[in-house]
Amino acid sequence: MDRREFLKSATGAGALAATAGLAAPAISQRLAARTLRFVPQADLANFDPIWNTQYVVRNGAALVWDMLYGVNANLQPQRQMVESEEVSADRLTWTFRLRPNLKFHDGEPVLAKDVIASLARWQARDNMGLMIKAIENELVAVDDRTFRWTLKRPYSKLPIALGKVGTPSCFIMPARIAATDPFKPISDYVGSGPMKLVRSEWVPGARAVFERFSEYVPRQEPSSWLAGGKQILLDRIEWVVMADPATASAALQNGEIDWWETPLADLVPVLKKSRNVAVDIADPLGNIGSFRMNHLHPPFNDVRARRAILTAMSQEDYMRAVVGDDAYWKPLPGFFTPGTPLYTEEGGDILKGPRDLDAAKRLLDQSGYAGQPVTCLVAQDLQIAKAQGDVTADLLKRLGMNVDFNAIDWGTTAARRAQKSPPGQGGWQMFHTWHAGAVCVDPSSYTAIRANGDKAWFGWPTSEKVEAEITAWYEAANLDEEKAAISRLNRAACEDVVYAPTGFFLSHQAWRSNVSGIVKGPLPFFWGVSKAA
Amino acid sequence: MLNYVIRRILATIPVMAVVALFVFSLLYIAPGDPAAVIAGDQASPADVERIRQSLGLDRPFLVRFSEWVWQILHGDLGTSIFTNLPVAALIGQRIEPTLSLMVVTLILAVSVAVPIGVLAAWKPDTLIDRAVMAFAVLGFSVPVFVMGYLLAYVFALELDWLPVQGYTQLREGVWPWLENLILPAIALGFVYIALIARVTRATMLEVLQQDYIRTARAKGMGQSGILFLHALKNAAVPIVTVIGIGIALLIGGAVVTETVFAIPGIGRLTVDAILRRDYPVIQGIVLLFSFVYVLVNLLIDLLYTVLDPRIRY
Amino acid sequence: MSGPLHATAFATDSVVAGEAASDFAAAPELPDILPPVTIRRGFLGFLWRHPAIAVGGALVATMLLIALLAPWLGTVDPTALAPARRTRGPSATFWFGTDMLGRDIYSRVLYGARVSLGVGFSVAILASLAGLAIGLVSGFFRVADGSIMRVMDGVMSIPPILLAIALMALTRGSVGNVITAITIAEIPRVSRLVRGVVLSLREQPYVDAAVAAGTRTATILIRHILPNTVAPMTVQATYVCASAMIVEAILSFIGAGTPPTIPSWGNIMAEGRALWQVKPYIVFFPAIFLSLTVLAVNLLGDGLRDALDPRMMKRL
Repeated sequence: MDRREFLKSATGAGALAATAGLAAPAISQRLAARTLRFVPQADLANFDPIWNTQYVVRNGAALVWDMLYGVNANLQPQRQMVESEEVSADRLTWTFRLRPNLKFHDGEPVLAKDVIASLARWQARDNMGLMIKAIENELVAVDDRTFRWTLKRPYSKLPIALGKVGTPSCFIMPARIAATDPFKPISDYVGSGPMKLVRSEWVPGARAVFERFSEYVPRQEPSSWLAGGKQILLDRIEWVVMADPATASAALQNGEIDWWETPLADLVPVLKKSRNVAVDIADPLGNIGSFRMNHLHPPFNDVRARRAILTAMSQEDYMRAVVGDDAYWKPLPGFFTPGTPLYTEEGGDILKGPRDLDAAKRLLDQSGYAGQPVTCLVAQDLQIAKAQGDVTADLLKRLGMNVDFNAIDWGTTAARRAQKSPPGQGGWQMFHTWHAGAVCVDPSSYTAIRANGDKAWFGWPTSEKVEAEITAWYEAANLDEEKAAISRLNRAACEDVVYAPTGFFLSHQAWRSNVSGIVKGPLPFFWGVSKAA
Repeated sequence: MLNYVIRRILATIPVMAVVALFVFSLLYIAPGDPAAVIAGDQASPADVERIRQSLGLDRPFLVRFSEWVWQILHGDLGTSIFTNLPVAALIGQRIEPTLSLMVVTLILAVSVAVPIGVLAAWKPDTLIDRAVMAFAVLGFSVPVFVMGYLLAYVFALELDWLPVQGYTQLREGVWPWLENLILPAIALGFVYIALIARVTRATMLEVLQQDYIRTARAKGMGQSGILFLHALKNAAVPIVTVIGIGIALLIGGAVVTETVFAIPGIGRLTVDAILRRDYPVIQGIVLLFSFVYVLVNLLIDLLYTVLDPRIRY
Repeated sequence: MSGPLHATAFATDSVVAGEAASDFAAAPELPDILPPVTIRRGFLGFLWRHPAIAVGGALVATMLLIALLAPWLGTVDPTALAPARRTRGPSATFWFGTDMLGRDIYSRVLYGARVSLGVGFSVAILASLAGLAIGLVSGFFRVADGSIMRVMDGVMSIPPILLAIALMALTRGSVGNVITAITIAEIPRVSRLVRGVVLSLREQPYVDAAVAAGTRTATILIRHILPNTVAPMTVQATYVCASAMIVEAILSFIGAGTPPTIPSWGNIMAEGRALWQVKPYIVFFPAIFLSLTVLAVNLLGDGLRDALDPRMMKRL
């Protein structure tokens, strides 16, 4: 028994004798064995996974709501709530049948009408959903367990759209909740997933508590990411928000928390050394660091200026700043996740090899850069964004550019990056972020690769070649055609510099050694996880 | 006396009005757009605009201000932009940890500071006096978070006597509740102890010069009797004053302490709200704090009449 | 740390001491009941009698020198980053080690002194000037007193750190904005102090006489009242300086402080806080410097308070 337990028992017993009838220790020890305390990557401030596309919301939503399909560890969609599907010969009509005995947390059965309403709400906010809506003929409930989707053109990636990891994922809610305007948050968190959100114990900014839903019927297959049987082996999961990584690290070592989603790379060595703590790579698909330049305004509206940056930047510097240890990063001469079927380095020579500062300066001069300030948005409260931002500031200085360094928080970054105004009037020229590798395997949920100008992601890149290849990929009939399209896409994206990839890096997760069942993946999967006493 | 209380309460209204206007105007002209943050990474500017309208952020100043005042007077502190929960509910959830922390810190600080201040005054210019004053000045000088990290490292991580972080509710047991609060209270209390000890010492020194003390000594009264029966009672007024003023310090320090020790209190709620520009929460909390501070000052003024019968209103 | 029994301004000390010494020399020998007393005169004598001022002043002066002479004390460019050599411990090349981006901590700490001391002193001066103006007006003109004090009360009832964070959240992080934000939070206290002094002085007979003689208000304020506020204000200014430096560190800790492109003790600590268990030196060195400086300024304030008229100071 460690010292703290001893103190607790001796004085605790005394205190109990004094405070009549609070039989706390015995009960809480039993409860403790079936409660998992988890530190998420960020705060769970609001909990609508369609309205709010932050990863942390999706991660919690995966517990409370279920999906029609779910991708497995090979990124292949498998049936989840759907028992069977039928595709017509002309590939235009999809008929889905739901599993029997699916129930919502309030006892109501899951009906096709709930699915229809949820799909409609999801479509309004999701890229793939919007694509489907554009070619949709009708989406109707045939009976309580069957619904039919008729399209004007074939869309083979429909199951992927319904089971993907990229936000917003397609979660199924009761029709009355899904009727909420997609641009307003829901206020009722009833789903049909394996756990319920305990509303009374939810303290936004501090903690969220999930309780097992006893009437959930998991599938029979073994679980793999979002696919298969979601068996919950715990009674309670407590999400404890910790803004301070040093506190989380100490708490994990002390046994006050059980699982930490995002330990800093620098803290991994001390966690590895600690007895009772296990550390491993969180997701082999890793992350792609990035900074985006504003294609609407000078200097980066000129492709030569953008290419100058790519010529001078050192992915090594960026990645070392983000993760330190060389074992955790790889250079990335392209835009797609290493280790996946569509990975390619085609056209990425500009990012390879020794850095040529002089060539970069020449390109910059050619583009007509005349010393105007470059407004750089750097979020200070996210370690990855901050580290990249500091390296960029240094890079621009060495190129002789005039840096207007805006050290702000992530919230303000999100606000300012949406502004299309010129930099002197509240706009921006560069901001830093990163993307989950799971999203960058192909163009389906990869919003950041789109180059359709005003409708593209922040930075608003325009590149007809890139867009053409994206369409080609969607229309590809087999893997070889897909690979060809992606290679051309990569080359085009490098030439037109859709954004600047700073490298590929891995992140970790850490947990107490008495916790088992934790798997690698793009989000923390709680099914199959159990805790020994 | 009742007259005085009523007058004082009425006098707080203009103060609160100033605070309300001040806070509301500052946030109104603030840059940063909560609608964009809520819309999320993948949203288009049209989406953002739609969300902004749904939150009512595009209406003019006076309209929003009057609406807000009207709501406050009806007890409705507004609804958080980010979490969609009523501000009053958010504060209600978080108030127990902060209140617990402040009470424990207050008790700890007063019970340490007053005796050492008295001790220092009793033996002026000796080693004890200098040691106490040095300790007090040290308390001012080390930033709260450095102290917090040090304490957490030594007592929680290395010695494992206390938990590193978190908060346990009182209804789960007195010792678990206290256990989580000891280290934060010490970190937070350092500055407070320094402040109270200084004022205690200074006031006691003055009081000990007085004639009635000399009389008491001449009468043969024991040292502790003099110190506590006569001197401390007379020194009480400035000491209580500084305790009252220090509460504002405590609230400020609680913000940092709550971050370091992951205590889900109001301090962290406020900082998160400010950095996220969650206007209703910021407004509600600042208004609440000011009200509490004004109330505490009133209570202290009333306490004076108990401590010092010469003070009559 | 001296008690109220000590003498007042040092000028009087040396004069009295000087005369006593010369009388002493001419007098007949006294029996050896009293040990010989060394009367130290002049500035050094003053420092000897007020060790707080001596130690505090010396430390502050050292920090100021370090800040001013930073480029010549073996430093390199504090913003030069080299991720290849990040988080190295203190060594012969990097006396305080390197941080997460490979920057030299020794250089950052020395250059950081400029910002932290700059913030401290600027806030002290600006808050004193503004507080002085407000306090004078409020104390002397009864008409304005009520409303001004209500506004000051209002501002004071918002905890200063929260006020500073809120003000910083409105604007870009910059040293100027940090100074402004902290100054606004500190003005009410200074103005209250000045107002208190003015209120008590206003009742003095010589002020009455001046008013009766028809002296212009401005002259009364400047010639009679202002000089008496200098002493308590100087002491208060040192406390404001110390408090401002700590608030700057806390603002940086929260993420609402000086921009990270300019090193300050606060933001070096903020950047290093996540690694504090594995690389404590990143937080340790700036913490030591900050604590020492704040300690020194506090000591200086204490010493000044004891050296100047203690009756005026007792409320500080």
